[in-house]
Amino acid sequence: MPAFRIKRQEGDDGVALQLIESEGDLPPWGPNEALSVVGHPYPRLEGREKVSGRAIYASDIRLPGQLYGKVLRSPYPRARITRLDVSRAEAAPGVHAVLSMLNAPPIGWYQEGQLFESTVRLVGDEVAAVAAESEEQAEDALRLIEVAYEPLPFVTTIAAALAPDAPKVHESGNIAGEPVIYERGDPEAGLRQADVVIDERYETPCALHNALEAHGGTAFWDGDQLTLWDSTQAVFVVREEVARAVGLPEHRVRVIKHHMGGGFGAKQIAWKVDVIASLLSKLAGRPVQLILDREAENLVSGNRNPTRQRVRLGARRDGTLTAIVAEIAQAAGAYRTGGEASDVSGTYQSLYRCPNVRTEQTAVYINAGPAVAFRAPGFVEGAAALEQAMDELARALEIDPVELRRRNYSEVDQPSGKPYTLPEGLRLSYDRVTEAFGWQDRPRPSSSGTKRRGTGFAAHDWVGGGGHDPGYAWIEMNADGTVEVITGTQDIGTGTRTGLAQIAAEELGLPLEQITLRLGDTGVGPYSPVSSGSATQATIGPAVRAAAVDLKRQVLDVAAALLEVSAVRLSIEDGKVLVDGDPERAVALSEVTEKIAPHMLQARGCRAPNPEDKAVRTFGAQCVEVEVDTETGTIDILRLATSHDCGRIVNPTMVDSQVIGGITQGIGFALMEERVVDDRLGIVLNANLEDYYVPTVADAPPIAHAPVDVPDLAANSTGAKGIGEPPLIPTAPAIANAVYDAIGIRIREYPLSRQRVLAALAAAGQGEARS
Amino acid sequence: MRAFAYASPRSLDEAIALLDGAGDGHAGGTRLLAGGTDLLTLMQADLIAPERLVDIKRLAELDDRIEDGAEGLTIGALATLAELEEDPFVQSRYPILAEAAGLAATPQLRNMATLGGNLLQRPRCWYFRDSRVHCWLKGGDLCYARGGENQHHALFDVSPCVAVHPSDPAVALLALDARVRLRGPSGEREISLGSFFAPPEDGRRKETTQADNEVIVAVRIPPRHADARGVYLKAMERKAWAFALVSVAAVLRLEAGRIAEVSVALGGVAPAPWHARDAEQVLVGAESSADLFARAADAALTGAGALAKNGYKLPLAKALLRRALADLTGQPVD
Amino acid sequence: MAANGFQPVTLTVNGSDYPIMVEPRRTLVDALRHDLALTGTKKVCAMGDCGACTVIVDGRAMYSCLLLAVDCAGRAITTIEGLAHGNNLSPLQEAFVASDGFQCGFCTSGQIMSLHALLQAHPHPSDEEIARAVTGNICRCGAYANIVKAGREAAEAMARQQEA
Repeated sequence: MPAFRIKRQEGDDGVALQLIESEGDLPPWGPNEALSVVGHPYPRLEGREKVSGRAIYASDIRLPGQLYGKVLRSPYPRARITRLDVSRAEAAPGVHAVLSMLNAPPIGWYQEGQLFESTVRLVGDEVAAVAAESEEQAEDALRLIEVAYEPLPFVTTIAAALAPDAPKVHESGNIAGEPVIYERGDPEAGLRQADVVIDERYETPCALHNALEAHGGTAFWDGDQLTLWDSTQAVFVVREEVARAVGLPEHRVRVIKHHMGGGFGAKQIAWKVDVIASLLSKLAGRPVQLILDREAENLVSGNRNPTRQRVRLGARRDGTLTAIVAEIAQAAGAYRTGGEASDVSGTYQSLYRCPNVRTEQTAVYINAGPAVAFRAPGFVEGAAALEQAMDELARALEIDPVELRRRNYSEVDQPSGKPYTLPEGLRLSYDRVTEAFGWQDRPRPSSSGTKRRGTGFAAHDWVGGGGHDPGYAWIEMNADGTVEVITGTQDIGTGTRTGLAQIAAEELGLPLEQITLRLGDTGVGPYSPVSSGSATQATIGPAVRAAAVDLKRQVLDVAAALLEVSAVRLSIEDGKVLVDGDPERAVALSEVTEKIAPHMLQARGCRAPNPEDKAVRTFGAQCVEVEVDTETGTIDILRLATSHDCGRIVNPTMVDSQVIGGITQGIGFALMEERVVDDRLGIVLNANLEDYYVPTVADAPPIAHAPVDVPDLAANSTGAKGIGEPPLIPTAPAIANAVYDAIGIRIREYPLSRQRVLAALAAAGQGEARS
Repeated sequence: MRAFAYASPRSLDEAIALLDGAGDGHAGGTRLLAGGTDLLTLMQADLIAPERLVDIKRLAELDDRIEDGAEGLTIGALATLAELEEDPFVQSRYPILAEAAGLAATPQLRNMATLGGNLLQRPRCWYFRDSRVHCWLKGGDLCYARGGENQHHALFDVSPCVAVHPSDPAVALLALDARVRLRGPSGEREISLGSFFAPPEDGRRKETTQADNEVIVAVRIPPRHADARGVYLKAMERKAWAFALVSVAAVLRLEAGRIAEVSVALGGVAPAPWHARDAEQVLVGAESSADLFARAADAALTGAGALAKNGYKLPLAKALLRRALADLTGQPVD
Repeated sequence: MAANGFQPVTLTVNGSDYPIMVEPRRTLVDALRHDLALTGTKKVCAMGDCGACTVIVDGRAMYSCLLLAVDCAGRAITTIEGLAHGNNLSPLQEAFVASDGFQCGFCTSGQIMSLHALLQAHPHPSDEEIARAVTGNICRCGAYANIVKAGREAAEAMARQQEA
């Protein structure tokens, strides 16, 4: 059973208690420990369900009497609703409930708004919702809702929002919160001391998550019990936020997520759609399924904030960085959501050793969809600029770009001053990726012809991957010796089920087939945090291991009584209890558990805090070779090598899949993904999968993954860290650097679309002059 | 999608009779349903709301046959893009058409989309496709793309609308001098593809000259010299599954080192597939050379003026055309 | 047939006939998912832009979001639910599991149906043909390399079954 101590602190806001739990002082699995399940490839436990079409997602729920919800959305980027009449919709065939500001309870939403308001601030803002017997009837009913809008002036770009006399998105103005300023040393002096200064501006686009499964779910408000089958990365977060919004106690709200069709960060909070579905169900007295259509998904349910970044780097002739200064503006959209912050500044402060650093990050409101975490939020945008700037610096200094980074290596998390748990993680990434790619002997760019090849490099760090407390797992052992691991975490498609089962199997000495995971249900498992920040394996893995250690102790106590030997002489291997020095006496685990049935052995594990004196981070680096066609602007990625420190690799198959998947999204971010808004109309022109291009199979290049695979023994008892987000971070700048290498032109605005490449070539006089 | 009625007439004449008086506006009227890949997206986006759909896939008078004869190659209007792509005769004699069909859309869409529907598909312009925007093409006053996000739009300013025609096969067919057989209430007529397509204008806010009560029955490619070769090149924003930013179809025959016959069409540059006659004039009778192709490419874009965001299409179109010509004549690319 | 009303249609799905009443505007994907409760086929974009709803109609992969249910009478429809034999997954399904040809799994039914159609028509495809067969299926998790691998391994497994 978990032990804890309590830290009490009295502050201005009253008393704060911090519960510090213990995993039971487990020594981590050693670097050379022979592990039989962990570290080995296994197919996903839910594979069979997913390939047979039987995996149940939120939109697959079918309940008796189920209704279908649809939402009426604002066609204007900013307007006042002067009249709203839902009476015809209420009377329409099949309609059971209509929800709007006329009858919805006052529920605060986002940091600035309400569930329904008389002011709309983006195209897609919720105006009313309908539940009807079919989707078609719900859609018909929406057309019967009469709304009169008084359109108001609006802004859709950072520049427009910051202009004097700009229309205000909110009455408080267009600056969202206070600018976040970080400074160490004397950055201006550092720039003065520099032999070389790079001073450039970069822009990253608004990228749309486009998880194939849209936000939404199926809600059933039955009496005083609400059950919500939701597409979410965080069943407990959704429970808390929905319960608070609709005024139910937490034990009356159950949130279930069996399987999820992708989240990529956008599903780590509750969204309006969850509350609207719940309230429609309450009104109708029937289950309501409300899934966003693709357009709404792309308008209102989050995006990667567009940024404009001015970066100044100062360095001595030998490459030593003397200053890093970044001024960052990011568009928050019309509202600020919760969840992981988009910390664009973070990587500037930590990736390279530098005594003088200043970052200033300002979030700006615009009349467009709210930004939310998107796979390594902030770091992707920051790296896109910083890692091009480092390449520019390397060129200016005539130092190999990898060598420049090695010369500015930090083994310490500089903002906190704490050493990294695996200080060599980034260095090992450099070593392995350059070797796998053949960086030293890389082909030199050709300077003639229309097909130019070039190579590029980029590194990254990431604040996530280390996991954190709290998080819980229980294990029950059945009478036949099989095991159920129960936890309130969720598998969002990353392989969590499989990875956690491997931890349990390893510790218990059981084959993987004897483990079942029960997760994704607040009604079943104990609290676990949101699956974000590449945290899940590193957060819940140690909790599972702690529970397994406890359970094993109990089983061995029982076995000791059965076998009449001391428990210290017993171990479990491949489902058998072995007696040290007496192989003849081995018994199947089931023989032990059957002796005590129907008594059940059970254990609880928790996740203790990360080490106080060290910083847990993840690192990686990528090399890429491209070919650029100087006449057509085509960029072909010929090959890409990548290396990542994610601590111990629990399942190489899952890690490889995360790596190639993240890089594929990175290629999209680098080359094609960009929300396009008409600034005169305030309309998103490509809120779909036709004009918002995401990579197809034809866009995915060969990827060589050279893992670091060194257990991070100081991080947690499994030595494993997360890999979900990191692979995406360095991809775009690595590609941009390779494009520069190929054609000698810097493109500092992402994505590097054909339009931008050809325009840059024309401006440089390399392509045909623009007429 | 709004409600509609679904009818399965017994004959093509019956289907055409249902089209009589059909409006072309947003609401009401009758539409023909074949592959449905464009029609249903227009309806899903609430750009049109017909009262009735008429299924023409099972009519005896319409077919998907691809037949070679004395009059050339006749392709039934119901032939799918996949059938064009996979047909062995098309592959061997008209590879340009098989390539264009195969570069269009995706396997699934090619399995569904008919050639007739492909010629009739509406533009992908994102203003046109947004029901909130009442643009000129939909009966409004203004083409919003002109002063807006026009990176995918036309180089040739030949209509109040600057959308581009989205079809790949149409560009190849234009270069093959294809003709379209139409059937209306008073019988059949055959017109050149060049006169079937026409930039939208006041009084005809659509991309074709087909009457509202006419149906495409077949497309015919007239016989041509056995030595003629063709190629279709397409530039997209990603490696597959995107509409052409620019495409080029060229058909050419060499005779004793000189270009005896040539036909050039461009896609992605105008509201209708673009016949580059100026380029043909430069090329015909001339000896092939990189310099000639460069001049032809310049000629092909004569009169093309860039909008604010589509200037990149000019060098792109020229490059694709130079490469197409080089490929057809065996010249080095550079 | 009443205008705008429901009308009968019999869908033939995975070898069984399903007589249902639908509005003409009901798409095949909605009929499968709602009227037949065959939820393995996923609806993502409803505009033919993603491939998640891919089913096989008369031997060819198609987007069920751009087909009307009433338009599918008499056509042989195969969905993801029709591939396994009882409790035995098809070789292609097995290969997807073994090759980790998915992560979240939401595009997987569509990917598998596209490749199933390919393998039925061309049992010995090249990697290029396999990739081409799924160009119309977006995988946002980016499992493409493993999807192609699954197609290759399924083709090999099916060839071995043929020999055996």
